[in-house]
Amino acid sequence: MRALLATARGAALEAAADRRALASQALAMAVNDGVWIVFWVLFFDRAGDLRGWDLDGIILLQAVLTTSGGIALGLVANARRIGTLIVDGGLDPVLALPASPLGLLLLRRIEPVNLGDFAFGVTLFAVAGHPTPSRTLLFGAVVAASATLLTGFLVLTGSLAFFAGRGESGELGFHAMVLLGSYPVDVFAGTAKVLAYTVVPAAFVSTVPARVIMDFDSGQALLLLTAASTVALAAAAVFRAGLRRYTSGAVWTRA
Amino acid sequence: MTAAERRAVRVAFAIAARRTLADPGGLVVSGVFYLIVVSALSAVWRVAADANGGALVGYSAAALTWYIATSESVTISLNIRMIGDLGEDIGSGVVAVELLRPASVLWIRVASELGRAAARLVVIGPAGVGVAALTVGRPPSWPAVALAVPAMALALTANVIAQHAFAASAFWLRNATTAWFLYQKLVFVLGGMLIPLEVFPGWLEAVARALPFQAMAYAPARIAAGHAEPLLLVGQMAWIAGLALAARAVFRMGERRLQVVGG
Repeated sequence: MRALLATARGAALEAAADRRALASQALAMAVNDGVWIVFWVLFFDRAGDLRGWDLDGIILLQAVLTTSGGIALGLVANARRIGTLIVDGGLDPVLALPASPLGLLLLRRIEPVNLGDFAFGVTLFAVAGHPTPSRTLLFGAVVAASATLLTGFLVLTGSLAFFAGRGESGELGFHAMVLLGSYPVDVFAGTAKVLAYTVVPAAFVSTVPARVIMDFDSGQALLLLTAASTVALAAAAVFRAGLRRYTSGAVWTRA
Repeated sequence: MTAAERRAVRVAFAIAARRTLADPGGLVVSGVFYLIVVSALSAVWRVAADANGGALVGYSAAALTWYIATSESVTISLNIRMIGDLGEDIGSGVVAVELLRPASVLWIRVASELGRAAARLVVIGPAGVGVAALTVGRPPSWPAVALAVPAMALALTANVIAQHAFAASAFWLRNATTAWFLYQKLVFVLGGMLIPLEVFPGWLEAVARALPFQAMAYAPARIAAGHAEPLLLVGQMAWIAGLALAARAVFRMGERRLQVVGG
């Protein structure tokens, strides 16, 4: 545990070393997220209701998505890079340390750009999410579940590189999750909707959490918790299984 | 441009295209990414059209699907980090080595990026036609689709040249990250990639129509959505000429500065 904490502290110090770069990159990402809000404002101005979703609902959905995305892509930034690290032999340094390799990997790198997502999401909720004490508590809880699921999914798809020998699966998983999570799942039909609840569980990253805040339902909350735990456990299991096949990054071993 | 320079540009285009086609993994990632974007975004617009009596600002649900399939294809075919990469090469001085070649740095780079984009479009274009046809059936107008093909080529050209003009800010700022973020959002919204310009309030639509970004996504997308308007192509060509002059002027100034500083 002490090794994990020290790793996290080191990553935080490294990210904070250049404060100006940290601030400008985070600000750029916040502007990027703001463009999506502009899009939705323009959209609802013309289109009206979107299968039960209005601008308030979408703002909540975006607040959850950007906050949890900020955690999964910013605070545990290596979650997105696991596939590349596996293929390039980037796991070597953590295997020699006396702590969980996956824990060390996830905590050793912070991506300043995506901290802008986190700041944007929290600010968006505070300003336009109609925060009350109960909604704020729910927001914190569903963001934790959403971030756990997103991180788990990135680790899971990235770990497929142990078996496939290529790192693209993690990048594809990331894009699929974030893209599908950017819209309320109710706009999809048929296969796309089934996919968003199963193979690419983007519904549990944004739509379901936003619904739980808007209109609390214990069944939905339990479903979210179950989905997050299942994906996280599956990710840890696949990573562990894959690690047994890992053959170091020395290039000559792959000749 | 001399005959030798023209040949160098053609070779740069061909080499970049062949390299891109030789990396099936990268093409698959681009293709799947594209399919997800188009499926999700076009579903949103179809729902909106259906909720508004089958059409929104003059576009039917089918037309909106073809619009999004086209606007996304000409955007996703490009290297998303082009401005950032070019800015880094300028800021770090890598581009100084390219100045030694007997051909324009700007046009060789533009040709290489267009080669890569053309190769990606070979995969993404048919995927877009497939997903749109499977979702909503045939396009609103076949003549419009035929006109959309050159409009897509012009859109890629205008976008690549404009990105080089933006990235040239790195000659002075040594980093183009901010320019990259700003540029991307301008194409996404004011360029009509996410949203047809007709959806904007009047004043914003007028602003968007007066800017070059609409030549990079809106023009081919509107044509593919069934509006065979040749004037859109004329506008694209005019913007390409203007952007090319601007990019050449900025690069010339920047190259002089880079030589003075020493790279």
